[in-house]
Amino acid sequence: MASWVLGEFQDDGALCGAARRLRELGHGRLDAHTPVPVPAVEEALGLGRSPVPLIALCGAILGGAGGYLMQWWMNAVDYSINVGGRPDHAAPAFIPVTFETTVLATAIFIVLGFFALAGFPRTHHPVFEVEAFRTASVDGLWLSAEVEPAAAEGVAEELRRLGARNVSRVEEEA
Amino acid sequence: MSAESAARVERVDPLEPVPVLAGRPGDRELNDALFEPVWAKTRRGWLALFAVAVPLAGLLFLAIAYTLATGIGVWGNNVPVGWAFDIINFVWWIGIGHAGTLISAILLLFQQRWRTSINRFAEAMTLFAVIQALIFPALHTGRPWFDFWLFPYPSTLGLWPNFKSPLIWDVFAVNTYFLVSLLFWYVGLIPDLAALRDTSRSRAARVAYGIFALGWRGSARHWRHHRIAYLLLAGISTPLVLSVHSVVSFDFAVSVLPGWHTTVFPPYFVAGAIFSGFAMVLTLVIPARKVFGFESVITGKHLDNMAKVMLATGLMVSYGYLVEHFNAWYSGDHLESFLFFTTRQRGPYAPVYWLMIFCNVVVPQVFWFRRARQSTWALWVAALLVNVGMWTERFVIIVTSLHRDFLPSSWAMYYPTWVDWSIYLGTLGFFGTLFLLFLRFVPAVSASEVKELRRELEHEAQAHAAH
Amino acid sequence: MPPLGKGALHVLGEGRGEAPADGRERWRSLAEREGGGAHPAEFPAGAAEAPEAFSRRGFFKILGASAALAGLGACRPPRDAIHPWVRQPEKAVVPGASLHYATALAVGGYGVGLLVTSTEGRPTKVEGNPDHPSSLGAAGAFEQAALLDLYDPRRLRGFTRRGQPLSHRAVLRSLVELAASHREDGGRRLRFLVGESASPLLADLRRRIQASYPGARFHVFESLARDEVRGGHRVAFGRPMEARLRLDRAAVILSLDDDFLALGPDRLRLARELAAGREPGPEMSRLYVAEAHLSLTGSSADHRLRMRPSEVLAFGRAVAHRLAEKHGLAALAGCGLAPAARAREAAAVADDLARARGRALVTAGQRQPAAVHALVAALNAALGAAGATVEYRPAPEDPAGAAPLRDLAAAIAAGQVDTLVVTASNPVYGAPADVDLGPLLARVPDGVYLTLRPDETSARSSFVVAASHPFESWGDLRATDGTASICQPLVAPLAESLSEPELLASFLGEGDRGGHALVKASWEARRPRPDFDAEWRRWLGRGLVPGTATAGEAPAVRLGAVAAAAGAVPAARQGLEASFVADAKVLDGRFAENAWMQELPDPVTKLTWDNAALLSPATARRLGVETGRRAELRLRGRRVEAPVYVVPGHADDVVTLPLGYGRTAAGPVGTNVGFSAGALRSGDAPWFEGGLALAPVGIRKHAFAATQEHFSMEGRDIALSFDRAQWSPEKVAHLRGALPTLLDPAGDPEEPYRWGMAIDLSRCTGCSACAVACQAENNVPVVGKAQVARSREMHWLRIDRYFAGDPENPEVLSQPVACVHCERAPCEYVCPVNATVHSDEGLNEMVYNRCVGTRYCSNNCPYKVRRFNFFEYNKEKPPTEKMLMNPDVTVRHRGVMEKCSYCVQRIERVRITARLEGRPIREGEVLTACQQACPAQAIVFGNLADPRSRVSAWHGSDRRYDLLHEVGTRPRTAYLVRIRNPNPELA
Repeated sequence: MASWVLGEFQDDGALCGAARRLRELGHGRLDAHTPVPVPAVEEALGLGRSPVPLIALCGAILGGAGGYLMQWWMNAVDYSINVGGRPDHAAPAFIPVTFETTVLATAIFIVLGFFALAGFPRTHHPVFEVEAFRTASVDGLWLSAEVEPAAAEGVAEELRRLGARNVSRVEEEA
Repeated sequence: MSAESAARVERVDPLEPVPVLAGRPGDRELNDALFEPVWAKTRRGWLALFAVAVPLAGLLFLAIAYTLATGIGVWGNNVPVGWAFDIINFVWWIGIGHAGTLISAILLLFQQRWRTSINRFAEAMTLFAVIQALIFPALHTGRPWFDFWLFPYPSTLGLWPNFKSPLIWDVFAVNTYFLVSLLFWYVGLIPDLAALRDTSRSRAARVAYGIFALGWRGSARHWRHHRIAYLLLAGISTPLVLSVHSVVSFDFAVSVLPGWHTTVFPPYFVAGAIFSGFAMVLTLVIPARKVFGFESVITGKHLDNMAKVMLATGLMVSYGYLVEHFNAWYSGDHLESFLFFTTRQRGPYAPVYWLMIFCNVVVPQVFWFRRARQSTWALWVAALLVNVGMWTERFVIIVTSLHRDFLPSSWAMYYPTWVDWSIYLGTLGFFGTLFLLFLRFVPAVSASEVKELRRELEHEAQAHAAH
Repeated sequence: MPPLGKGALHVLGEGRGEAPADGRERWRSLAEREGGGAHPAEFPAGAAEAPEAFSRRGFFKILGASAALAGLGACRPPRDAIHPWVRQPEKAVVPGASLHYATALAVGGYGVGLLVTSTEGRPTKVEGNPDHPSSLGAAGAFEQAALLDLYDPRRLRGFTRRGQPLSHRAVLRSLVELAASHREDGGRRLRFLVGESASPLLADLRRRIQASYPGARFHVFESLARDEVRGGHRVAFGRPMEARLRLDRAAVILSLDDDFLALGPDRLRLARELAAGREPGPEMSRLYVAEAHLSLTGSSADHRLRMRPSEVLAFGRAVAHRLAEKHGLAALAGCGLAPAARAREAAAVADDLARARGRALVTAGQRQPAAVHALVAALNAALGAAGATVEYRPAPEDPAGAAPLRDLAAAIAAGQVDTLVVTASNPVYGAPADVDLGPLLARVPDGVYLTLRPDETSARSSFVVAASHPFESWGDLRATDGTASICQPLVAPLAESLSEPELLASFLGEGDRGGHALVKASWEARRPRPDFDAEWRRWLGRGLVPGTATAGEAPAVRLGAVAAAAGAVPAARQGLEASFVADAKVLDGRFAENAWMQELPDPVTKLTWDNAALLSPATARRLGVETGRRAELRLRGRRVEAPVYVVPGHADDVVTLPLGYGRTAAGPVGTNVGFSAGALRSGDAPWFEGGLALAPVGIRKHAFAATQEHFSMEGRDIALSFDRAQWSPEKVAHLRGALPTLLDPAGDPEEPYRWGMAIDLSRCTGCSACAVACQAENNVPVVGKAQVARSREMHWLRIDRYFAGDPENPEVLSQPVACVHCERAPCEYVCPVNATVHSDEGLNEMVYNRCVGTRYCSNNCPYKVRRFNFFEYNKEKPPTEKMLMNPDVTVRHRGVMEKCSYCVQRIERVRITARLEGRPIREGEVLTACQQACPAQAIVFGNLADPRSRVSAWHGSDRRYDLLHEVGTRPRTAYLVRIRNPNPELA
């Protein structure tokens, strides 16, 4: 049982200010919703570096090693056979496939990692209940706070004071 | 707004640089303008094109069914010419499929702003081109129903693929390329899908786009992962693009056949791929921006830059031809010299060779001239010719090398059959169909990125004013 | 297949053409399963109609029923005891095992001894009988292709008289009645039209018929008759003789238009003897060939003297003249004549012959007129060749001097013939154009025609009798040296039919005795002895009757007569000349329905499924035609339209017209293939004739289906040939041995067997016997003209043919090329699915069931020996032809690649035997099909790990080189350069 308080701001500056202020007040879990990335707001919300690159690295290592070992095991170990008098373990010939598996694994790790971190897919989220919020993906700059229902009213007040328009609150029905 | 800004683009003073974004429209304006093709009624021109593309696609599937039913003997292939239209078209389409990822990835890494308004377009083209390309390796085998034997899986034959074969490298490269391009394209598309969801008027559209948007809320958390993920994908796509056509070129370079067995192939194939890719982007973008009024976002600047890229890659391709012939002479290999200085110039397929030289070496030279680069007509015709030229290049490489190889006793001619032509034209139709559907249901220009670009430009303007 | 006793196959069933009881049941059920007519209907529904009425497929469908009957028939051994070849351990016929049976086959006249492989009672392969003097273990294309005829679904089944089907008994009865009707007038209205035959039994029967019907007459018809040979010898010796060449004893050979390597009953032996004499060295023999069209023999010659057929006599006389003038052979003075042309050549040839006196040999082709043969007899006598390099023997006696075809035609026209028994092959088609036999035959009340298939003649005959295939019937045949062989059947006839002896015997009231009794009785009469049965079995077991060879003679030459004959022939006329030749593939048309022969590329032109008017480049230029252009040929008011094919090395002002095509009733395979040269042929000038007119017609080009279109080597080291004088091993040193390599590839495993092959281009004549052997052994499909035209022929072994030097008279090189089994095979490493890999013993193996058909291997094969199944080529195979399939070799399906396997199935068979006997495989134990068939022994296969093996010796030869050595494929098949021995005086 949580509830969200939403407010729309005029420009990046107002948005960042509001974010900083609410953060100081420590009101619930804050988030900004913008049609384009606004690095300033991420700072204001105190979001650290994204772990996606690390995930990508794991993918790369797994894909690369896996790809090479697969070829080596299949052609040189499990079914070694004379093919045109070439060596069974032909390292140069294994490079292209190794490269491709590396890239493929990396890409898949990146995307799945991103989805996991972003909590995708979640096609329905309570904030979508607010009709005005639909501008968030077009030109609206929104700030949202996930708070205890009790505290919701206070946060709404705070938002209005900070100059938010269309301040509204959503209850998550349990 | 598009009309007048378009006019502005045409009336641009040649001395001052053409803007990458015409006018100073607001986010909402941009959004409406860019989504307009999706929300507006189906255009007549679109319908007309669709009515052409779909029957052609139908022809493709008929020809495929016929081939599967009777055997690839219905094609013109024979011994010695074991590969012909099948692999020519494969390489041609794969080549075309290179511009997209290249534009989005490499230009993104190099912070080329002008990329933003054409990357989505180009990536879509990539995907659809690769889909066409994938048809051919799958279909060209004698027993397509056993194609899955090319994948390493524990089979009842207890046997694995031969990883020394360039065809296996192909299987991995092309499929990887398709998947990665798809992911790259989709990840970049998510914010716009969300925007479509939020600007949709009908519930159906809202649900449909909502599903594909995966619940994107433009949250700062989303953005921060999205940005880096997108950048990393761009990072790995760049070497991927270069690898794919290198691997395709290995199909030939790794063989012993004169005309195939050439070390210059990988770079020269990559250059050729980019060359043909940009040609295809131009071929499609020039009409599209007219029809959908994107002149304000896809400005003369973009066309101009693409023309320059084509000039550069065209010169690389020409250099490739030069090196091939030089090596044939310098190596003193009589088989190679015979191929490069007799078979190609004077053999039965000489007209194709000279057409290739004209389209790929002569035509791009017009891009030295600014006037040519800025006349959409000149650009479009040149681009078309380059597409033709790159097809003939693959014909020259594959067919002329095969039809007169080592032992004159086995020399023979190759003639395509109506099935060969149907499949080729069919893929054009299928490609067109997919592309038209894309133009109809997905914003062809990335709205979120254009908005981002707009902000950057504004900040710069302010910084400028401050001085 | 009932179990069978040791050695002999037991007698099964009583009545001819009947199966044992259990066989009957199986037969019925099978017939029902096939939905065919109930046994014993000889004519399944529809089979009686003309095949032309049906599509090929529909036709086979209709034949399905009868073929199914035949199918079981094929599993029945012949009724009378036949005996396996003695050189092999006798064993019962067990499933999977195969036995060899010795028999003999005549492709026109004399017999060639064969061994036929029988698998579970089905003959599946024809090979040569090493003991037979005319085979020496080799089998030619014709002998091998005859097997396909055995299984031809279009074969005639049963008998019809005036459209009424007759049973076997009924036909014998009606023949007896027919015979009886001729008794009282002594057979004055009874005629026989027979082919040339060296069968003692048939001669016997003819003599007895003649005795009991004094008024009856025998007429002999062969479209490729040897009348001129006998005529010439009649002039020279006073009696008809046959010349038997001994090339192994000859040092200098002059062939006057004699294509002895391609035609004639001795071509296999002669190829062997010539090859033996061609061993490079001072003892190497020299071959001169004077001829018009580029023949096999001509392409093997050291000197080809291009001339029109009509100029050959003059050349021969010029040689005689020189011999008389310069070398004191006064005997030849009368026949000699100072040359008007080619004096230099004639002189050089004469001098060469004179130098080699006693080891010289002159021979003339059957196409040359009697005068030439007479002259040649005189030359050989003078050169001391007679008895040394050539033996003369009396020609097989014509029963009471057979009368020519023309007399028969006259007699029929005059209504003097009630019964005409035709056993000659298809006379209506083969008869010269001035004897229009068809309508005449139709006028004969009882035209009895014995034939394997319905054809032009059967259409005109009122009484058609299905002939048993030679592999289905008993008989006997003499070889050219008189050696007799007993022909034993391999299977009971696939359908009710009679053999020629049985047909003739029925005129003596012995038709019901059966071929076995007839031939055995005749030999018992000839060689009576108490233990005859044992002796008989020995003969069958060996494939010949010992001590039947007759001694050659060297009869005295009547020089005056020869001179007169030579002088009587008018000098050659100017102008365009027509020259008729037997086709290398369909002979005189009797192989026109044989798909193997139709698709076999012509040794010289490489044309398949076609013949053409062949002429020289100069003549083509003069007449304004080029290859593929259609032209109208006019001769004596007769007209034929034919496509032109320009052949380098062809003589000028002469058009060569291969016979045997343009058949009108030859089923789906042979009908309307090519044009009928016979339509221009006159009885009085059967081989060549002046006054030909050739004019191009239309503009549309004729679509030839040739397996090779480029005949120049483009200066590459492909098929190498050197003159003996210029030759030195260094010349090919750069084409063998190891090449430098950057990284050391995996070494070859040390195996007890390293299979390899070597091909000696000095020996190869390009006769194509190996190609047919390969096709038969490896179930290689026939794909038809359209596919060949798209260059999709399936032959695993092809014979490349190149021209070198002067385009007017080039050197001709033949090079058999199959998979060379590279140790560093380019095809293997590019296969994505490991469908072509390498065996430890060095075989480049093709795994059909793993192949997906990317064709990458073929693209990367420098030799282009791989063949791809673009369609399901085996789909339409009729049930009978399925019985021909070699059970040891997979039948390939659509979409897979295939190629030469070094006959791996034969290697494995031998390996099994060796294992059972606990010993290693012996040298010479494994024979590939091509090696076995090769008459010149140009192909050697064996174990390279054994330094004493022949193949190792050839690989070590200083003539050895590797094809495309520079590609670094390390082929296991090596080639030996061809060495020619031209006469320095003609350099």
